[in-house]
Amino acid sequence: MTWTIVVGVKQVPDAKEVGIDPDTGRLDRANAPAVMNPPDRHALEAALSIKDVVDARVVAITMGPPMATPVLEEAVAMGCDDAVLITDRAFAGSDTWPTSLTLASAADTLGADVVVCGEETTDSSTGQVPPGIAAHNGWAQLTYVEDLEPRPDEDRLVAVRDVEGGYERVAAELPVVVAVAYGEFDPRPAGLHRKLYAENDFEPIEWTAADLGIEDEVGLDVSPTSVGGMETVDPVDRRGEVVDDVDELASRLAEVIA
Amino acid sequence: ADDAGGIDLEAYADVWVFVEVHDGDVMAVSWELLEEGKKLTAKTGEDLVALVIGEDLDAVVREALERGADRVLVADDPVFEPYRADPYGAQFRAMVEERKPSIVLIGGTHTGRDFAGRVAVPTHAGLTADVTEIDVDDDGLLQARRPAFGGDILATILCEEHRPQMATVRPGVFEPGEPDLDGDFATVDEAITAVDVVVDESETISEVLERNVGDTTDITEADRIVAVGAGIEGDLEPAIDLAEALGAELVASRAAVDEGWVDGSRQVGQTGKTVRPELYVALGISGAIQHVEGMNKSGTVIAINTDPNAPIFEHADYGIVGDFADVCPRLAKSLRERDLAEVMP
Ligand SMILES: Cc1cc2nc3c(=O)[nH]c(=O)nc-3n(C[C@H](O)[C@H](O)[C@H](O)COP(=O)(O)OP(=O)(O)OC[C@H]3O[C@@H](n4cnc5c(N)ncnc54)[C@H](O)[C@@H]3O)c2cc1C
Ligand SMILES: Cc1cc2nc3c(=O)[nH]c(=O)nc-3n(C[C@H](O)[C@H](O)[C@H](O)COP(=O)(O)OP(=O)(O)OC[C@H]3O[C@@H](n4cnc5c(N)ncnc54)[C@H](O)[C@@H]3O)c2cc1C
Repeated sequence: MTWTIVVGVKQVPDAKEVGIDPDTGRLDRANAPAVMNPPDRHALEAALSIKDVVDARVVAITMGPPMATPVLEEAVAMGCDDAVLITDRAFAGSDTWPTSLTLASAADTLGADVVVCGEETTDSSTGQVPPGIAAHNGWAQLTYVEDLEPRPDEDRLVAVRDVEGGYERVAAELPVVVAVAYGEFDPRPAGLHRKLYAENDFEPIEWTAADLGIEDEVGLDVSPTSVGGMETVDPVDRRGEVVDDVDELASRLAEVIA
Repeated sequence: ADDAGGIDLEAYADVWVFVEVHDGDVMAVSWELLEEGKKLTAKTGEDLVALVIGEDLDAVVREALERGADRVLVADDPVFEPYRADPYGAQFRAMVEERKPSIVLIGGTHTGRDFAGRVAVPTHAGLTADVTEIDVDDDGLLQARRPAFGGDILATILCEEHRPQMATVRPGVFEPGEPDLDGDFATVDEAITAVDVVVDESETISEVLERNVGDTTDITEADRIVAVGAGIEGDLEPAIDLAEALGAELVASRAAVDEGWVDGSRQVGQTGKTVRPELYVALGISGAIQHVEGMNKSGTVIAINTDPNAPIFEHADYGIVGDFADVCPRLAKSLRERDLAEVMP
């Protein structure tokens, strides 16, 4: 049997490029270039590593505006067989509840056996979307995954999970949602051939909320949470004193712990 | 399927705190939340309810009462040990649907963040992630504040038209209270409810094959900390030496944890723990925002780094540009000489 592996990838503002607007003193996210959420590159690697050992088809999906297409191209360049852009104005204002519903519905439509996600994003970083996908579909889930052992003969996926200090090996029945621990599964480089194809010839499949039959279950109205306000966090005031030699540092240290 | 916006908010009451137990050991964040929960119920006048799920829980149930829970709900069954997302999610969900809490607080540990969604999704509850500040307004509306964009922003998340208002809360942010060991728990039996266990082993969709809990040190209580990063390149000796001279706990950046040099229970930052020691000494740590977020409430911060432009110097009170392997032994030696000088007349 061929496994269908669906990978969730999200476009986020490049954390390294988010600057402070000199006029307002506020964060200037609008001008930061958009990139693939870095942990999602690890999710792609995990999915492709399953395909290295199991007969599988890997499909990247993103829910976002059409300008998020480059993250799908990047996924295809890395080795994904196909990609879906789920885009609709109706998604505006979605919190993790409808976001995970949308991805769950797309994964189901694609006939996913395994869904692979990143640990969390670098923008809103809730980490709630992967368990949300599993919950909407009533599927098994494996989060904080450091290693994967596919068991196609048993229709199960075994994972090594990080349990904050230790680890555990858990077997889950298919279909299963995996969230990869960020830092594991070093992403492979895109092959030149694949890259040219992704950039020049590849077109993602496009789905709207109505295509998935969820047009009344997405967006602001069904989102239980809302952002009530945002404040920039003032950096903690530190002395920032760089001393010249170790003896001086030792005496500073002695004062602190006196 | 879901009656979004149409629920009867009045039907929901009480503040629930999830007590996370693995093999009899309670995660420290549970008691932090119970203490914080007291502040919420003091304002709302509701009950503070501890939820205990696991196996052989009598001692934990007792401790929850000693630590101030008005009531305890217990689901005690072998199906819950060791932890798995599907039985925990199903049990917790059933309890929420039957008893309708207004607020549910869950520690933002790997376990809490794993199953919280399996409760929030089917009950259509609002779930705020990684909260670092909580309050409640006069109408019982939870004001949950959480860092976003790597900690540059503090967002207030509200859940106005759905219940329960759920939140996972970052470990180490709040102080645990002291248990009241002499309290009068004569009414104890009335305060404890053994709930129906709705999960059966035959319906589970996952199986734990092997579990190694490893190092479960609670770094959040340490007064002094020595932190190592990728810059130590696996050479822990000088860091341990300095930690010993200081009587400090050893912690690490995510990069050092990912390398396997230090256990994950000792990771500080956005996806690790929040610490606030009097002294934080950072060795070979660049000062990425996701790291700084977990340590910037420390008293005094000292940075040792070979790169004069490392951002960590902006987050430090004192710093030195140098090789940690060179600086640590000299600092440790000077500390030991000082200790010696103190005991000598
Ligand atoms: C400041 C701020 C705070 C917020 N806080 C909350 C909150 O506390 N609770 C809440 O319910 N909502 C919250 N939201 C809304 C939430 O950010 C959105 O629902 C978001 O689209 C999904 O959450 P995430 O980025 O945290 O995903 P995470 O759960 O962190 O993402 C984990 C993984 O899921 C996959 N994934 C996530 N999103 C997509 C996508 N669009 N397409 C494909 N794959 C994806 C990726 O593999 C990703 O690595 C907040 C929004 C903002 C702006
Ligand atoms: C979603 C997400 C969540 C994250 N969560 C966390 C988190 O919880 N905690 C966390 O820490 N990170 C987290 N990170 C990672 C974070 O972005 C950084 O990558 C990480 O903190 C870097 O670790 P580091 O400072 O040890 O390593 P590096 O950034 O590689 O820095 C090493 C430093 O060591 C210095 N150095 C080298 N040799 C020496 C020497 N001999 N002596 C002294 N100094 C030396 C170098 O100059 C450099 O500054 C997260 C990232 C993401 C995307």
